[in-house]
This record gives sequence, C-alpha cells and structure tokens, in this order.
Amino acid sequence: MTHSSVPGVRRSVAAQRVTLLAVAALIALPWLDADKFTLHILSLIAIASIVAMGLQVLLGYSGQLSIGQAAFYGIGAYTSALLTTKLGVSFPLALFAAGVAAALASLLMVPITRLTGAYLAVATLGFSIIVYLVIKNEEWLTGGSYGFISIPRADLFGHVLRDPISSYYLNVGVAAIVYFIFARIPGSRFGRAINAIRQDPDAALASGIRVTLLKSECFVIAAFVAGVAGSLYAHEVRYLAPNDFTFWKSIEILIMVVIGGVGSLPGAILGAAVVVGLPEYLRVIGDYRMLVFGAILIATMLFGEGGLAALCAAMGRRLRGWLVRLVPKLAPSDESAR
Amino acid sequence: MSAATADAGWLLEARGVTRRFGGLVAVDRVDLAVRRGSVHGLIGPNGAGKTTLLNLIAGAYRPSGGALRFGARDITRDPPGTRARAGIRRTFQNLKLFGEMTALENVAIGLHAATRSGFFDAVLGTPRHRAEERGIHEASMEALRFVGLAGIAQVRAAALAHGHRRLLEIARAIVARPALLLLDEPAAGLNVTEAAHVSELIARIRAGGTTVILVEHHMDVVMGVSDEITVLNYGRRLAHGTPAQIQEDAGVIEAYLGRSTESEHAQA
Repeated sequence: MTHSSVPGVRRSVAAQRVTLLAVAALIALPWLDADKFTLHILSLIAIASIVAMGLQVLLGYSGQLSIGQAAFYGIGAYTSALLTTKLGVSFPLALFAAGVAAALASLLMVPITRLTGAYLAVATLGFSIIVYLVIKNEEWLTGGSYGFISIPRADLFGHVLRDPISSYYLNVGVAAIVYFIFARIPGSRFGRAINAIRQDPDAALASGIRVTLLKSECFVIAAFVAGVAGSLYAHEVRYLAPNDFTFWKSIEILIMVVIGGVGSLPGAILGAAVVVGLPEYLRVIGDYRMLVFGAILIATMLFGEGGLAALCAAMGRRLRGWLVRLVPKLAPSDESAR
Repeated sequence: MSAATADAGWLLEARGVTRRFGGLVAVDRVDLAVRRGSVHGLIGPNGAGKTTLLNLIAGAYRPSGGALRFGARDITRDPPGTRARAGIRRTFQNLKLFGEMTALENVAIGLHAATRSGFFDAVLGTPRHRAEERGIHEASMEALRFVGLAGIAQVRAAALAHGHRRLLEIARAIVARPALLLLDEPAAGLNVTEAAHVSELIARIRAGGTTVILVEHHMDVVMGVSDEITVLNYGRRLAHGTPAQIQEDAGVIEAYLGRSTESEHAQA
C-alpha cells in the first residue's frame, strides 16, 4: 500500500515545483521582456486559458461535451461592455456581473444536462449559434455587425490599468486564481463525485449522487469563468465584434482542451497558448489556422489521449533521467525530497 | 418511519410488481416480502427475471404495474438516486466500478450522500470539508478492511483482479451502512474459496444490521446464507420458503432440471 502511494506523492512534489517555477516566470516576465505585443498576446492566452479551464471542469472532470462555451464567453464580454459604457459600472463589479450573467444563462442548459454525448454537444452548439445571432442582430444592444466600440480599460481601486504590464498582471492573475481554485476540485468530495459521474453515471446514481444537479453545477461553474474571461477580453481588446463569438470560437476552445489533454488544467493552458499564440507568431498560417489546429490535433492524438500535458510530463521525466545521469549529485537530493 | 416499520417486520414489500419490455413480460405480478434483518435469496433459471426484479427494487427500472414499499415509504415512483439516499444500495452483475479511481476513492463515493461539502467547501478548504474528508477516509478504510481489501486501498480499480473487484463493489455499497443491500451475483466468476469468503461476508453484513437481497447462481452460497428464498421462473414467483423447503420443492427441481421427458424433447 505504501509502496503504491509513493509515485503519487513524488509526482505531486514535482508538479508543485513546476507550478512554482511557472508562477515565478509569469511574475518576472514583464521585467525581462516588456515588449507590448508579447504582453498583449500573453494576456489573450491567459484569457483563453480561463475559458479552456472552465471547459476542462465540464468535459475533463464531469465528462460533458460542450461545443457552446463561446456563448458564455460572449455573454460575459457584452455584459461587461454594456455595464461599463452604458451604466458606468466599475470594472471589478462588471467583471463579476459578467460571470453571473453567463452563469444565469447556463441555467437554461439545466434541462439538457440529462442529455449525453453527441446530443448534449449538439444542444450546446445550438445555444452557441442562438447567442451569436442575438449578438449580431440586436444592434440597439450590441452594436450588431458594426461591433461594440470604445470599451474602457480595466480599472482597479480607481486606478486605470493603462500600461500593458498592469493589464497583463490582471489577466494572468485572474487566470492563476481560476487555476488554483480548479486545482482543488479533483481531491475533494465534489471532484470525486463528478469524476464518478464521468466514469459511470449509473453507478454514481446507485451510490446516491445527485447526478443531474452536479452536472448542472459544472455547467454553471464553466459558464461563470467563461463570462469572467469574456469581460477580461472586452476590456483588453476594447472592441467586440460578433465574429469573435461564432461557433468556431467554441470549437477553438474545445481544441485547446483536447490538444492540451482532456482532464488536465495545465493542459488547458498549454492548449490555449498553442491555439491563441501560434497564429499570432506565425502570421503565415492566418487563413489556414483551423487547418493547422486540425493537424496538431491529429498529431497529439497519435501520441495518446493525454495531449500536450502528458507529452510534456513524459519529456520532463526523461529530461530528469538524463540530468540525474549527467550530474549524479542531483540524485541524492531528489531522494531526500521524496 | 423506523418505529412503524419495525412493528411490521418487513423492510421491503413488492406487490404484484410487473415489468414489460415490449411484448416480453420479464417480471410478472411478483410478490416479495423481505423480513428486516434477513438475507433473502432470489434464484431461478437464466432469464427468470431475477436481475430485472433487483433493478425494479433499486429503481433502475420503473415498474409497469404493482407497488413497492420500503419500510413505511411507498417507493414505487422514486428514482434510483432517491432510493439510494433512502438506504437502498446495490452491486452490479457486470461490475460498475470507477476504473480510474483507487479502491479507496471508489468506496468514498459510497459516502457521498452521507456528507455535505460542495464546490465552495473544496475551494475554501472549510473545516467542514476537512472534517468530512477525514471521516470519509476512515470509514472507507474500515469498509475496505471489512471486506478484506485494506492492503490494496491505493490501487486503481481497473488494475484489480476480478475477485477483488467484486469485493470492492460490496465495500462501496455497504460503506454508508444501508438498510437494504441488493447483491446481484456477488460470487459470479469466483472460485470456491472466494465464494466461501463472499458467503461469510454476507453473514457479517447481516450481523451488522443490513438486510440483504441476494441474487446468486452459486447454490452453496445461496443455500448457506439465506434465511428465505424466492424462486422465479419465466418472470413469475414459482416458490417461496426456507432453503430446506426450496430444496425439497418439486416445482423448483423441475424448473431447474426439467422433467426428464421434456428435456429429451427439447434436445431433439
């Protein structure tokens, strides 16, 4: 028993170190390379990773396939834009309201959480299309195809986040909060229950788990963070167009989760980095991005269902093996860390 | 509720329970009364409707007719989750474990309804969550010890041997100390030693105050551990009595072995 529990402990120590390293790098980054463009792209990656982490809870943890997350993202973006421009609501409040609005909209999905697999996916897709059509056609509210312009910058405590460094810290900070909140789910009673639902809904039901209720809660959680991400996006880009929220966006979010590794939070972030970052740095692929994503998707699937997260973990283990062989001094310290 | 039913002596009563699948009547107006604190065997040839009856009691199927009473409560229309929370737990003939979870986590799922912590408790690490997690861990380990699986608590369920999986399902079903436990062929695929262990386990479960309905093909297990036995054949109740009575029952022997002339006809 103790023998089999050791690998788990060792992995979590290694994971903690990687997490710590990543956090340190993200904090230090603006001071190393304060290039405006890079910071903006990193902000967009952070925002996308929030939506992707929400879908990770929904799909990776509870096993519900949604291809409609762009709807909640859009609802959050427009809610925040409307509240700040039309009603003069402060940004932090609008950020929260955006999450709440998206969460409320997700309650419309409660009746369909009884659906599973392809039926659920198609229903969420339908919802995504409806929200897109509302955004596009209700010009009085959303600006329609002209877009929603002059959205103010984010502000915190009366201080407007003018420079890209502060908005970078805002977006990455919120993403980090979402990450650390969601990272607590798997080891908890709630996390075990939704995991059980994903693996065998009948057995979960027979164990007294309220399957429909918990599935709905996952929808609400995923929608809330998607709404929050939408708000961050609105104030980062400061211009919204209906085309940002088509069902292609929902597909992109799903691709982030799948190439990153279904069930892995770091995977969702990696996936967001690839899907958002790649087209920005490889302008050439512009019109062919879906084609490129498709190819990456197939390539990662060839390496197994774990996606990039599993691939990185495997590479990390191999790298560690090499390091230990090259620098034998490393080995004893690692042993003691166990 | 408990006081009223304690007087009656019956924990579960099925009256005229029927289940049709299209034209097939899988369970046909079956009466079943299970005494509180007993082990009630349910036997019959393949296709007799034993598992269907178990599914009707667990709530996996809605009856096409008849009524089910659990203690003082009419559960005929209750969905399976409600029945599970009311104290009816089950195992599955084809094993439904959570393969990616450890044995311990599988058992912990059985305590879900007995605890309250939700998403926010997990995120905030509330005292309630910590206390419940400790309680869940202790109770789950105890259930694993009870069935003899304490040594493999941290092993993933998918990696377990068949016999261990059967025991793990039982541990998950009893960890919340249900009033009624439905066992669907717990000894299927087990060798003689393992089957004997299951018999002994069922006796201990009953001693702990849980009433058991047992569907089983291993006659040694059923006859050895049951207080009463109901025999089903073609969806109908063929006989009911103590193990000794059932073993003497001419109708039962015929249903199992067939009349010699008939079986010859069937072969021809």
